[in-house]
Amino acid sequence: MVFSIAYHFLHDRALAEEIAQEVFLQLYKHLGSLESPAHVLYWLRRTTSNRCIDCVRRRKLAPQVTLDAVPEPVAADPGPGDPILSRRLQQLVASLPEKQRMVVVLRYQEDLEPEEIARILHMPVGTVKSQLQRSLAMLRDKVTRTMGVVNL
Amino acid sequence: MSRLDDELRQALRREEPPPGFAGRVLARVESAERGRRWWAWPRLSWAAALAATLLLTAGIEFQHQRHVRAEGERAKEQVMLALRITGSKLQFVKEKIHAMDTGR
Repeated sequence: MVFSIAYHFLHDRALAEEIAQEVFLQLYKHLGSLESPAHVLYWLRRTTSNRCIDCVRRRKLAPQVTLDAVPEPVAADPGPGDPILSRRLQQLVASLPEKQRMVVVLRYQEDLEPEEIARILHMPVGTVKSQLQRSLAMLRDKVTRTMGVVNL
Repeated sequence: MSRLDDELRQALRREEPPPGFAGRVLARVESAERGRRWWAWPRLSWAAALAATLLLTAGIEFQHQRHVRAEGERAKEQVMLALRITGSKLQFVKEKIHAMDTGR
């Protein structure tokens, strides 16, 4: 879970592993203060999210792929679960602004409700919902325009 | 649920960490533990040195007391011997005087 959140956020396996190792090292130091498995889960998601966002801000990483930088060949509408569509969506998610990106990752990887995401990221629930809507609209627009995917 | 939701769930499904990840995490934890124990080492050695000093001091004192007691015992024996000698000499003198008196 920890590595996966970091990977989908950073789209960099080596950096994701570095972050994941740091998170588990921190977990080891703080284990005594955690009260239950649910608390551990919450703590892991929150710490991983914070470290990923801090990492990007510190390194001022450019998005892996800017949304308009690489022209995609217009192809026939790929079917559901198409690996090319999956790959493209991963790239597009990795290019979102940090907070929006983490909202999307926690929503779709961890299947968390906006209220849980708001607690983890210390954001108002309304902000989480509006960021989610904005991100989905952006992703839908880009995928439709660049890949010719319809009915998304 | 829209198709985009399904596609995003598919695209963002959990990725497994690379092979050996758990081992590398454990190695870092062990390294951190060694660092922590090393940091505590000077305090530990001072405590050990203090304990050793205390034991040594106590041991030396114990030996000294034993020596003093032994010396005391020897002195006591000498006094008793002196008293016995004195006593026997006194007895000798007493007998001599008595003999002199009865000899008259």
